Amino acid sequence: MEVLIEHSAETSLAELTRQWDSPGTFAYVHEKSAAAASWLSTNPQLPQAYRKGHFCLLTSGSTGSPKLVVGRKQYSEELARVLDRAQDSEPVRETIVSLPLTYCYAFVNQWLWSKVMRRKLVLTPGFAKPEVFREALRRARDAMLCLVGPQAALLRNMFGGERFPGVVRLHFAGGRFPQERLSPLREMFPNAAVFNNYGCAEALPRLTVRRAGDGESASDIGCPLPGIELKSGEAGELLFRSPYRCVAQLDGQGFRPVAAGEWLPNGDLARDGGDGHWHLLGRSGEVFKRYGEKIALPQVLSSVNRQWQGLIGYYREKDGAGEDGYVLVLSPEPTGENLRGLMQVFRSSHPRTHWPLRIESAPALPLQPNGKVDSLAVRSMENRSLLWRQRI
Amino acid sequence: MTNREKLKDLAVDVFLIDPAEFRLDLKREEIETWDSLGVVSLAVGIQETFGHHFTQDEAMGITGIPDIVRILEARGIRFDE
Repeated sequence: MEVLIEHSAETSLAELTRQWDSPGTFAYVHEKSAAAASWLSTNPQLPQAYRKGHFCLLTSGSTGSPKLVVGRKQYSEELARVLDRAQDSEPVRETIVSLPLTYCYAFVNQWLWSKVMRRKLVLTPGFAKPEVFREALRRARDAMLCLVGPQAALLRNMFGGERFPGVVRLHFAGGRFPQERLSPLREMFPNAAVFNNYGCAEALPRLTVRRAGDGESASDIGCPLPGIELKSGEAGELLFRSPYRCVAQLDGQGFRPVAAGEWLPNGDLARDGGDGHWHLLGRSGEVFKRYGEKIALPQVLSSVNRQWQGLIGYYREKDGAGEDGYVLVLSPEPTGENLRGLMQVFRSSHPRTHWPLRIESAPALPLQPNGKVDSLAVRSMENRSLLWRQRI
Repeated sequence: MTNREKLKDLAVDVFLIDPAEFRLDLKREEIETWDSLGVVSLAVGIQETFGHHFTQDEAMGITGIPDIVRILEARGIRFDE
Protein backbone atom coordinates (compact mmCIF):
# COMPACT_ATOMS: atom_id res chain seq x y z
CA MET A 1 0.00 0.00 0.00
CA GLU A 2 1.34 3.40 -0.93
CA VAL A 3 1.52 5.92 1.89
CA LEU A 4 1.14 9.58 1.05
CA ILE A 5 2.20 12.08 3.71
CA GLU A 6 0.50 15.47 3.96
CA HIS A 7 3.30 17.93 4.76
CA SER A 8 1.20 20.77 3.50
CA ALA A 9 -1.81 20.52 1.30
CA GLU A 10 -0.06 22.22 -1.62
CA THR A 11 2.84 19.80 -1.78
CA SER A 12 0.76 16.66 -1.86
CA LEU A 13 -2.30 17.71 -3.86
CA ALA A 14 -1.12 16.53 -7.29
CA GLU A 15 0.05 13.24 -5.86
CA LEU A 16 -3.23 12.85 -3.99
CA THR A 17 -5.16 13.22 -7.24
CA ARG A 18 -2.86 10.73 -8.96
CA GLN A 19 -3.35 8.19 -6.18
CA TRP A 20 -7.11 8.57 -6.25
CA ASP A 21 -7.25 8.09 -10.01
CA SER A 22 -4.94 5.10 -9.99
CA PRO A 23 -6.40 1.64 -9.32
CA GLY A 24 -4.29 0.95 -6.23
CA THR A 25 -5.11 1.51 -2.58
CA PHE A 26 -3.28 4.26 -0.74
CA ALA A 27 -3.13 5.76 2.73
CA TYR A 28 -3.15 9.51 3.28
CA VAL A 29 -1.58 10.54 6.58
CA HIS A 30 -0.73 13.89 8.14
CA GLU A 31 2.95 14.50 8.79
CA LYS A 32 2.24 14.77 12.52
CA SER A 33 1.26 11.11 12.34
CA ALA A 34 4.67 10.11 11.03
CA ALA A 35 4.94 7.17 13.40
CA ALA A 36 1.73 5.76 12.03
CA ALA A 37 2.95 6.34 8.50
CA SER A 38 6.13 4.46 9.26
CA TRP A 39 4.15 1.60 10.70
CA LEU A 40 1.92 1.56 7.63
CA SER A 41 4.76 1.42 5.16
CA THR A 42 6.36 -1.57 6.86
CA ASN A 43 3.17 -3.43 7.71
CA PRO A 44 0.90 -3.43 4.66
CA GLN A 45 -1.53 -5.85 6.23
CA LEU A 46 -4.51 -5.14 4.02
CA PRO A 47 -6.01 -8.34 2.62
CA GLN A 48 -5.88 -8.79 -1.13
CA ALA A 49 -9.48 -7.72 -1.65
CA TYR A 50 -8.70 -4.25 -0.28
CA ARG A 51 -5.54 -3.54 -2.25
CA LYS A 52 -7.34 -1.95 -5.18
CA GLY A 53 -9.99 0.76 -5.29
CA HIS A 54 -9.66 1.80 -1.66
CA PHE A 55 -8.12 4.55 0.40
CA CYS A 56 -7.15 4.79 4.06
CA LEU A 57 -7.28 7.71 6.48
CA LEU A 58 -5.97 7.79 9.99
CA THR A 59 -8.37 8.84 12.71
CA SER A 60 -7.22 9.56 16.20
CA GLY A 61 -10.03 11.76 17.44
CA SER A 62 -10.36 12.46 21.11
CA THR A 63 -10.36 8.81 22.10
CA GLY A 64 -6.58 8.57 22.01
CA SER A 65 -6.76 5.27 20.12
CA PRO A 66 -5.60 5.87 16.55
CA LYS A 67 -6.92 3.63 13.84
CA LEU A 68 -6.97 3.49 10.10
CA VAL A 69 -10.34 3.57 8.39
CA VAL A 70 -10.47 1.93 4.97
CA GLY A 71 -12.91 3.41 2.48
CA ARG A 72 -13.96 2.41 -1.00
CA LYS A 73 -13.28 5.17 -3.51
CA GLN A 74 -16.53 4.56 -5.33
CA TYR A 75 -18.62 4.85 -2.15
CA SER A 76 -17.05 8.15 -1.18
CA GLU A 77 -17.52 9.61 -4.64
CA GLU A 78 -21.21 8.72 -4.33
CA LEU A 79 -21.37 10.40 -0.94
CA ALA A 80 -19.80 13.54 -2.38
CA ARG A 81 -22.68 13.70 -4.88
CA VAL A 82 -25.24 13.03 -2.13
CA LEU A 83 -23.73 15.83 -0.06
CA ASP A 84 -23.84 18.17 -3.03
CA ARG A 85 -27.60 17.71 -3.28
CA ALA A 86 -28.30 17.65 0.48
CA GLN A 87 -26.33 20.85 1.02
CA ASP A 88 -27.78 22.57 -2.05
CA SER A 89 -24.26 23.21 -3.34
CA GLU A 90 -25.17 24.03 -6.94
CA PRO A 91 -24.34 27.76 -6.57
CA VAL A 92 -20.96 27.03 -4.99
CA ARG A 93 -17.97 27.72 -7.26
CA GLU A 94 -15.13 27.01 -4.87
CA THR A 95 -14.42 25.53 -1.47
CA ILE A 96 -11.97 27.09 0.98
CA VAL A 97 -9.95 24.58 2.98
CA SER A 98 -8.79 25.49 6.48
CA LEU A 99 -8.24 21.99 7.87
CA PRO A 100 -5.72 19.29 6.97
CA LEU A 101 -6.95 17.34 3.96
CA THR A 102 -6.05 14.15 5.80
CA TYR A 103 -9.00 14.92 8.10
CA CYS A 104 -11.87 12.92 6.63
CA TYR A 105 -14.23 15.90 6.80
CA ALA A 106 -11.97 18.07 4.64
CA PHE A 107 -11.02 15.08 2.53
CA VAL A 108 -14.55 14.07 1.48
CA ASN A 109 -16.60 17.25 1.94
CA GLN A 110 -14.02 19.45 0.25
CA TRP A 111 -11.22 17.76 -1.69
CA LEU A 112 -13.26 14.88 -3.09
CA TRP A 113 -16.37 17.03 -3.55
CA SER A 114 -14.37 19.56 -5.56
CA LYS A 115 -12.91 16.76 -7.67
CA VAL A 116 -16.19 14.97 -8.32
CA MET A 117 -18.25 18.13 -8.84
CA ARG A 118 -15.45 19.90 -10.74
CA ARG A 119 -15.20 22.93 -8.50
CA LYS A 120 -12.21 24.97 -7.44
CA LEU A 121 -10.29 23.97 -4.31
CA VAL A 122 -8.75 26.90 -2.42
CA LEU A 123 -6.07 25.69 -0.04
CA THR A 124 -5.17 27.78 3.00
CA PRO A 125 -3.15 27.10 6.16
CA GLY A 126 -6.28 27.97 8.16
CA PHE A 127 -5.81 29.56 11.56
CA ALA A 128 -2.15 28.55 11.57
CA LYS A 129 -1.62 31.63 9.37
CA PRO A 130 -4.66 33.82 10.00
CA GLU A 131 -3.64 36.57 7.56
CA VAL A 132 -3.42 34.12 4.67
CA PHE A 133 -6.73 32.58 5.66
CA ARG A 134 -8.38 36.00 6.00
CA GLU A 135 -7.19 36.98 2.52
CA ALA A 136 -8.73 33.83 1.04
CA LEU A 137 -12.03 34.69 2.75
CA ARG A 138 -11.86 38.25 1.41
CA ARG A 139 -11.30 36.94 -2.12
CA ALA A 140 -13.99 34.27 -1.84
CA ARG A 141 -16.44 34.09 -4.68
CA ASP A 142 -19.50 31.89 -4.19
CA ALA A 143 -17.44 29.85 -1.78
CA MET A 144 -18.12 27.00 0.61
CA LEU A 145 -16.19 27.10 3.89
CA CYS A 146 -15.92 24.00 6.09
CA LEU A 147 -14.97 24.48 9.74
CA VAL A 148 -15.10 22.57 12.98
CA GLY A 149 -17.21 23.89 15.85
CA PRO A 150 -14.42 25.35 18.01
CA GLN A 151 -13.21 27.44 15.08
CA ALA A 152 -16.31 29.62 15.44
CA ALA A 153 -14.68 31.17 18.51
CA LEU A 154 -11.41 31.65 16.63
CA LEU A 155 -13.25 33.36 13.79
CA ARG A 156 -14.74 35.88 16.15
CA ASN A 157 -11.51 36.47 18.04
CA MET A 158 -9.37 36.90 14.96
CA PHE A 159 -11.69 38.33 12.30
CA GLY A 160 -14.42 39.89 14.45
CA GLY A 161 -16.08 42.89 12.83
CA GLU A 162 -15.17 41.87 9.28
CA ARG A 163 -17.64 40.64 6.67
CA PHE A 164 -17.00 37.99 4.03
CA PRO A 165 -19.88 38.22 1.55
CA GLY A 166 -18.24 35.84 -0.93
CA VAL A 167 -18.89 32.84 1.30
CA VAL A 168 -22.29 31.36 0.43
CA ARG A 169 -22.09 28.07 2.36
CA LEU A 170 -20.73 27.70 5.88
CA HIS A 171 -20.45 24.17 7.23
CA PHE A 172 -19.57 22.96 10.70
CA ALA A 173 -18.64 19.42 11.65
CA GLY A 174 -16.47 17.99 14.38
CA GLY A 175 -17.16 19.16 17.90
CA ARG A 176 -20.45 20.66 18.89
CA PHE A 177 -22.33 22.84 16.42
CA PRO A 178 -22.00 26.55 17.38
CA GLN A 179 -25.75 27.21 17.50
CA GLU A 180 -25.26 29.96 20.09
CA ARG A 181 -22.88 31.85 17.82
CA LEU A 182 -25.12 31.98 14.76
CA SER A 183 -25.86 35.69 15.03
CA PRO A 184 -22.22 36.84 14.86
CA LEU A 185 -21.55 34.23 12.19
CA ARG A 186 -24.39 35.59 10.08
CA GLU A 187 -22.99 39.09 10.47
CA MET A 188 -19.59 37.86 9.36
CA PHE A 189 -20.97 35.76 6.50
CA PRO A 190 -24.12 37.68 5.45
CA ASN A 191 -24.73 35.61 2.32
CA ALA A 192 -23.98 32.18 3.69
CA ALA A 193 -26.39 29.34 4.37
CA VAL A 194 -25.13 27.66 7.53
CA PHE A 195 -25.22 23.88 7.93
CA ASN A 196 -24.60 21.47 10.77
CA ASN A 197 -22.79 18.45 9.35
CA TYR A 198 -22.70 15.44 11.61
CA GLY A 199 -20.81 12.22 11.24
CA CYS A 200 -17.67 10.37 12.22
CA ALA A 201 -14.55 8.95 10.65
CA GLU A 202 -16.09 5.47 10.51
CA ALA A 203 -18.96 6.87 8.42
CA LEU A 204 -16.41 8.51 6.06
CA PRO A 205 -17.65 10.88 7.24
CA ARG A 206 -21.22 12.17 7.06
CA LEU A 207 -24.40 10.80 8.56
CA THR A 208 -26.75 13.79 8.81
CA VAL A 209 -27.02 17.37 7.62
CA ARG A 210 -29.16 20.17 9.05
CA ARG A 211 -29.61 23.74 7.97
CA ALA A 212 -28.92 25.89 11.00
CA GLY A 213 -32.38 27.44 10.87
CA ASP A 214 -34.14 24.06 10.93
CA GLY A 215 -33.40 23.55 14.61
CA GLU A 216 -32.78 25.55 17.75
CA SER A 217 -30.39 23.35 19.67
CA ALA A 218 -26.75 22.51 19.04
CA SER A 219 -27.62 18.92 19.84
CA ASP A 220 -30.08 18.73 16.89
CA ILE A 221 -28.10 16.98 14.16
CA GLY A 222 -31.01 16.89 11.70
CA CYS A 223 -32.07 14.04 9.45
CA PRO A 224 -29.99 11.16 8.10
CA LEU A 225 -28.71 11.57 4.56
CA PRO A 226 -30.48 9.47 1.90
CA GLY A 227 -29.57 5.80 2.27
CA ILE A 228 -28.27 6.17 5.83
CA GLU A 229 -30.06 4.62 8.82
CA LEU A 230 -29.65 5.56 12.48
CA LYS A 231 -30.89 3.86 15.64
CA SER A 232 -30.28 4.00 19.38
CA GLY A 233 -28.85 0.99 21.15
CA GLU A 234 -29.99 -0.24 24.55
CA ALA A 235 -27.74 2.22 26.40
CA GLY A 236 -28.64 5.10 24.12
CA GLU A 237 -25.57 4.67 21.96
CA LEU A 238 -25.94 5.88 18.38
CA LEU A 239 -25.62 3.15 15.76
CA PHE A 240 -25.51 3.76 12.04
CA ARG A 241 -25.73 1.80 8.82
CA SER A 242 -24.46 3.56 5.71
CA PRO A 243 -23.69 2.62 2.12
CA TYR A 244 -20.80 5.11 2.27
CA ARG A 245 -19.21 3.81 5.49
CA CYS A 246 -15.66 2.61 5.92
CA VAL A 247 -15.37 -0.98 4.75
CA ALA A 248 -12.69 -1.98 7.24
CA GLN A 249 -10.72 -0.73 10.20
CA LEU A 250 -7.10 -1.38 11.06
CA ASP A 251 -5.66 -0.66 14.49
CA GLY A 252 -3.44 -2.20 17.12
CA GLN A 253 -5.95 -5.04 17.44
CA GLY A 254 -5.53 -5.92 13.77
CA PHE A 255 -7.66 -5.75 10.64
CA ARG A 256 -11.45 -5.87 10.89
CA PRO A 257 -13.76 -5.79 7.86
CA VAL A 258 -17.08 -3.96 8.19
CA ALA A 259 -19.97 -5.88 6.67
CA ALA A 260 -22.46 -4.17 4.38
CA GLY A 261 -25.43 -4.44 6.74
CA GLU A 262 -23.49 -3.98 9.96
CA TRP A 263 -24.66 -1.46 12.54
CA LEU A 264 -21.67 0.58 13.70
CA PRO A 265 -21.39 2.59 16.93
CA ASN A 266 -19.59 5.91 16.75
CA GLY A 267 -19.18 6.66 20.46
CA ASP A 268 -22.01 9.19 20.70
CA LEU A 269 -25.28 8.88 22.60
CA ALA A 270 -28.37 10.09 20.76
CA ARG A 271 -32.14 9.83 20.56
CA ASP A 272 -34.69 10.01 17.79
CA GLY A 273 -36.65 13.25 18.15
CA GLY A 274 -39.71 11.67 16.52
CA ASP A 275 -39.83 14.31 13.78
CA GLY A 276 -37.04 12.86 11.67
CA HIS A 277 -34.39 14.85 13.52
CA TRP A 278 -31.87 13.16 15.80
CA HIS A 279 -30.52 14.72 18.97
CA LEU A 280 -27.11 14.13 20.48
CA LEU A 281 -26.93 13.43 24.19
CA GLY A 282 -23.13 13.45 24.29
CA ARG A 283 -20.17 11.18 23.97
CA SER A 284 -20.36 7.96 25.93
CA GLY A 285 -17.86 9.45 28.40
CA GLU A 286 -19.65 12.80 28.60
CA VAL A 287 -22.78 11.52 30.27
CA PHE A 288 -22.38 10.45 33.86
CA LYS A 289 -24.13 10.43 37.21
CA ARG A 290 -23.26 12.80 40.02
CA TYR A 291 -24.96 12.38 43.39
CA GLY A 292 -27.58 10.30 41.61
CA GLU A 293 -28.33 12.90 38.98
CA LYS A 294 -27.60 12.31 35.32
CA ILE A 295 -25.30 14.95 33.85
CA ALA A 296 -25.03 15.43 30.09
CA LEU A 297 -21.95 17.60 29.67
CA PRO A 298 -22.87 18.83 26.17
CA GLN A 299 -26.03 20.41 27.58
CA VAL A 300 -24.07 22.13 30.33
CA LEU A 301 -21.43 23.30 27.86
CA SER A 302 -24.19 24.65 25.66
CA SER A 303 -25.14 27.02 28.50
CA VAL A 304 -21.51 28.02 28.92
CA ASN A 305 -21.27 28.69 25.20
CA ARG A 306 -24.16 31.13 25.33
CA GLN A 307 -22.26 33.27 27.81
CA TRP A 308 -18.61 32.71 26.95
CA GLN A 309 -17.24 33.62 23.53
CA GLY A 310 -13.75 32.13 23.96
CA LEU A 311 -12.57 28.54 23.76
CA ILE A 312 -13.90 25.93 26.15
CA GLY A 313 -12.13 22.81 27.35
CA TYR A 314 -12.83 20.40 30.16
CA TYR A 315 -11.55 17.30 31.81
CA ARG A 316 -13.16 14.77 34.09
CA GLU A 317 -12.27 14.48 37.76
CA LYS A 318 -13.81 13.07 40.93
CA ASP A 319 -14.61 15.30 43.90
CA GLY A 320 -13.52 14.70 47.50
CA ALA A 321 -16.45 12.32 48.02
CA GLY A 322 -15.44 10.21 45.04
CA GLU A 323 -18.34 11.44 42.88
CA ASP A 324 -17.78 12.03 39.15
CA GLY A 325 -17.39 15.63 38.09
CA TYR A 326 -15.58 17.82 35.63
CA VAL A 327 -13.29 20.83 35.52
CA LEU A 328 -14.09 23.63 33.08
CA VAL A 329 -11.15 25.35 31.36
CA LEU A 330 -11.61 28.67 29.57
CA SER A 331 -9.27 30.47 27.21
CA PRO A 332 -8.29 33.26 27.15
CA GLU A 333 -8.67 34.31 30.79
CA PRO A 334 -12.14 35.78 31.33
CA THR A 335 -12.63 39.19 32.89
CA GLY A 336 -14.27 39.39 36.29
CA GLU A 337 -17.47 40.44 34.58
CA ASN A 338 -17.29 37.46 32.18
CA LEU A 339 -16.82 35.10 35.09
CA ARG A 340 -19.69 36.60 37.11
CA GLY A 341 -21.94 36.29 34.06
CA LEU A 342 -20.97 32.67 33.69
CA MET A 343 -21.64 31.96 37.35
CA GLN A 344 -25.06 33.51 36.98
CA VAL A 345 -25.76 31.11 34.13
CA PHE A 346 -24.91 28.18 36.37
CA ARG A 347 -27.01 29.59 39.20
CA SER A 348 -30.05 30.31 37.06
CA SER A 349 -29.99 27.35 34.66
CA HIS A 350 -28.38 24.40 36.41
CA PRO A 351 -28.56 22.61 39.76
CA ARG A 352 -25.35 22.53 41.75
CA THR A 353 -24.61 18.97 40.61
CA HIS A 354 -24.16 20.37 37.09
CA TRP A 355 -21.65 22.99 38.19
CA PRO A 356 -17.98 22.31 37.48
CA LEU A 357 -15.74 21.25 40.34
CA ARG A 358 -13.47 24.10 39.33
CA ILE A 359 -13.23 26.77 36.69
CA GLU A 360 -9.73 27.31 35.37
CA SER A 361 -8.26 29.44 32.62
CA ALA A 362 -5.26 29.18 30.33
CA PRO A 363 -3.71 31.58 27.83
CA ALA A 364 -4.38 29.04 25.07
CA LEU A 365 -5.89 25.58 24.79
CA PRO A 366 -4.20 22.70 22.96
CA LEU A 367 -5.89 21.99 19.66
CA GLN A 368 -5.78 18.89 17.53
CA PRO A 369 -4.78 19.31 13.85
CA ASN A 370 -8.48 19.31 13.01
CA GLY A 371 -9.09 22.36 15.20
CA LYS A 372 -10.92 20.62 18.04
CA VAL A 373 -9.84 21.25 21.61
CA ASP A 374 -7.64 18.34 22.67
CA SER A 375 -9.43 17.29 25.86
CA LEU A 376 -6.79 14.72 26.74
CA ALA A 377 -4.05 17.35 26.64
CA VAL A 378 -6.04 19.97 28.57
CA ARG A 379 -5.74 17.99 31.80
CA SER A 380 -1.93 17.90 31.64
CA MET A 381 -1.44 21.60 30.82
CA GLU A 382 0.80 23.29 33.37
CA ASN A 383 -0.18 26.93 32.97
CA ARG A 384 -3.76 26.73 34.16
CA SER A 385 -5.03 29.32 36.66
CA LEU A 386 -7.75 28.61 39.23
CA LEU A 387 -10.70 31.02 38.94
CA TRP A 388 -13.32 29.33 41.09
CA ARG A 389 -13.92 26.04 42.91
CA GLN A 390 -16.85 24.30 44.56
CA ARG A 391 -15.15 23.29 47.82
CA ILE A 392 -16.53 19.74 47.70
CA MET B 1 -10.63 42.44 55.43
CA THR B 2 -13.23 42.21 58.17
CA ASN B 3 -14.90 38.94 59.16
CA ARG B 4 -18.14 40.27 57.76
CA GLU B 5 -16.45 40.84 54.41
CA LYS B 6 -14.89 37.38 54.52
CA LEU B 7 -18.28 35.80 55.20
CA LYS B 8 -19.86 37.82 52.41
CA ASP B 9 -17.18 36.73 49.91
CA LEU B 10 -17.64 33.14 50.98
CA ALA B 11 -21.42 33.24 50.57
CA VAL B 12 -21.07 34.88 47.15
CA ASP B 13 -18.60 32.20 46.10
CA VAL B 14 -20.48 29.20 47.48
CA PHE B 15 -24.03 30.18 46.53
CA LEU B 16 -23.18 32.27 43.43
CA ILE B 17 -25.28 35.13 44.76
CA ASP B 18 -24.76 38.73 43.75
CA PRO B 19 -22.72 40.65 46.36
CA ALA B 20 -25.63 43.06 46.70
CA GLU B 21 -27.89 40.20 47.79
CA PHE B 22 -25.81 39.47 50.88
CA ARG B 23 -27.19 40.49 54.28
CA LEU B 24 -26.27 39.33 57.75
CA ASP B 25 -29.93 38.34 58.28
CA LEU B 26 -30.16 36.32 55.04
CA LYS B 27 -32.22 33.13 55.44
CA ARG B 28 -31.53 29.81 53.74
CA GLU B 29 -34.92 29.79 52.02
CA GLU B 30 -34.08 33.07 50.30
CA ILE B 31 -31.23 31.45 48.38
CA GLU B 32 -32.26 28.71 45.96
CA THR B 33 -28.66 27.48 45.65
CA TRP B 34 -28.41 26.82 49.41
CA ASP B 35 -29.03 23.11 48.91
CA SER B 36 -27.54 20.08 50.65
CA LEU B 37 -24.36 20.16 48.59
CA GLY B 38 -24.21 23.89 49.27
CA VAL B 39 -24.16 23.13 52.99
CA VAL B 40 -21.14 20.87 52.48
CA SER B 41 -19.41 23.50 50.37
CA LEU B 42 -20.21 26.19 52.94
CA ALA B 43 -18.83 24.07 55.78
CA VAL B 44 -15.56 23.53 53.93
CA GLY B 45 -15.39 27.26 53.22
CA ILE B 46 -16.02 28.17 56.88
CA GLN B 47 -13.22 25.87 57.96
CA GLU B 48 -10.82 27.32 55.37
CA THR B 49 -11.76 30.92 56.14
CA PHE B 50 -12.40 30.94 59.88
CA GLY B 51 -10.75 27.73 61.02
CA HIS B 52 -13.94 26.34 62.54
CA HIS B 53 -15.14 22.86 61.65
CA PHE B 54 -18.93 22.60 61.91
CA THR B 55 -20.20 19.59 63.82
CA GLN B 56 -22.88 17.63 62.01
CA ASP B 57 -25.54 19.04 64.36
CA GLU B 58 -24.34 22.59 63.75
CA ALA B 59 -24.35 22.11 60.00
CA MET B 60 -27.83 20.57 60.00
CA GLY B 61 -29.21 23.31 62.25
CA ILE B 62 -28.12 26.26 60.17
CA THR B 63 -31.14 28.13 58.82
CA GLY B 64 -29.34 31.19 57.56
CA ILE B 65 -26.42 33.56 57.92
CA PRO B 66 -27.47 34.57 61.50
CA ASP B 67 -26.85 30.98 62.67
CA ILE B 68 -23.37 30.99 61.14
CA VAL B 69 -22.56 34.30 62.82
CA ARG B 70 -23.88 32.98 66.16
CA ILE B 71 -21.80 29.79 65.97
CA LEU B 72 -18.65 31.64 64.99
CA GLU B 73 -19.12 34.39 67.59
CA ALA B 74 -19.42 31.67 70.24
CA ARG B 75 -15.86 30.72 69.22
CA GLY B 76 -14.62 34.27 69.60
CA ILE B 77 -14.86 35.30 65.97
CA ARG B 78 -16.34 38.79 66.02
CA PHE B 79 -18.68 40.29 63.42
CA ASP B 80 -19.35 43.61 65.09
CA GLU B 81 -16.10 45.19 63.86
